Amino acid sequence: MKRDPVILIVVAMVISVMLVFGIQKARNSSLAHNAGKLQGQLAPDFALASLDGKTLKLSDYRGKAVLLNFWATWCEPCKIEMPWFVDLQKKYGPQGLQVVGVAMDDASPKEVAEFAQKLGVNYPIVIGKEEVGTQYGGVQFLPSTFYIGRDGKILERVFGLVSRSEIESNIQKALAQQGQVAQE
Amino acid sequence: MKIVRFLNGAAMLVSVGMAMAQDIPGSKRPSVTMQPPEIVSIYRAHSGTVELQFRIGSGFHINSNQPKQEYLKKTELKLDAPTDIVIEKISYPEGVDRSFPFAPDEKLSVYSGDFAIGVMVRPLKTVLPTKYAIHGRLNYQACDNAACYPPKQLPVSFEVKIVKSANEHKKRIPPQSPHTHS
Repeated sequence: MKRDPVILIVVAMVISVMLVFGIQKARNSSLAHNAGKLQGQLAPDFALASLDGKTLKLSDYRGKAVLLNFWATWCEPCKIEMPWFVDLQKKYGPQGLQVVGVAMDDASPKEVAEFAQKLGVNYPIVIGKEEVGTQYGGVQFLPSTFYIGRDGKILERVFGLVSRSEIESNIQKALAQQGQVAQE
Repeated sequence: MKIVRFLNGAAMLVSVGMAMAQDIPGSKRPSVTMQPPEIVSIYRAHSGTVELQFRIGSGFHINSNQPKQEYLKKTELKLDAPTDIVIEKISYPEGVDRSFPFAPDEKLSVYSGDFAIGVMVRPLKTVLPTKYAIHGRLNYQACDNAACYPPKQLPVSFEVKIVKSANEHKKRIPPQSPHTHS
């Protein structure tokens, strides 16, 4: 029996779409499991000690697009993307991007500062606390990055290391967000 | 025939898709488990080695005992031995130098799959011959190809049987005397 190649191609395409959908669903279900329904919600505010001894409040950056990156010194993939954040902060800072690093580390603030200095970090880093991780759905692995729009709402959460182009694309989406500044 | 081949191809595609879904960080949790160890008999005042077998869940790796980068958490076994039993040495396997998709130009010294740690135990001469439990923990920090998981501790426990050495038995046999009365 002869099969129409067009039908086979259509079936193959349907299977491919189902595959992509399935992978996306797996990603989302894991996100939903860990982070609840944070997307579209106001990013939980926190006040944490920064490496220069000051207290940094997330809400101080309302009106800016924020890339909130949870990382640690023992996390090799985190080390890969941090130099990208440095470049992207330089590139998009004038447009209103603020990268903020949250060190979920058991290393001392001095060690964290030395580590950040070696990588040439040009954005503020705060020393994370477990409860802040919990507010963000439980940061169970690193890196975990949240993209927060100018209105203070979480647009996207990304698990693990992704490509620089994906990071840049999420930054552009956050910068494009021109919504009203949300009231807490 | 064509249909069968097509279905086979589709099944392969689905398998690849499922494998990709498995690779998504967070879709699985890293696991390190210890296989039940055999009870090793060790003579008093002598050294004996207990081999502890560990298994790392597929798709994950942990740093070796001597990671190449200073900030990485090394795998380390910490033991609390009973009084008069000395942990003389803990022998770790050499790590395997591997590069990962997140840093293809960098080699990391890691363990993956199965690995064994040797524990050299030396009971002092004064230890009562019986079984003793030795407890401790394995400190490790796992990563997959795209993400790292916080440092963890695996509880570790094994038993050693302390026995008298053959020499001790000989020494304790009283000399036979023709004058001994029963």
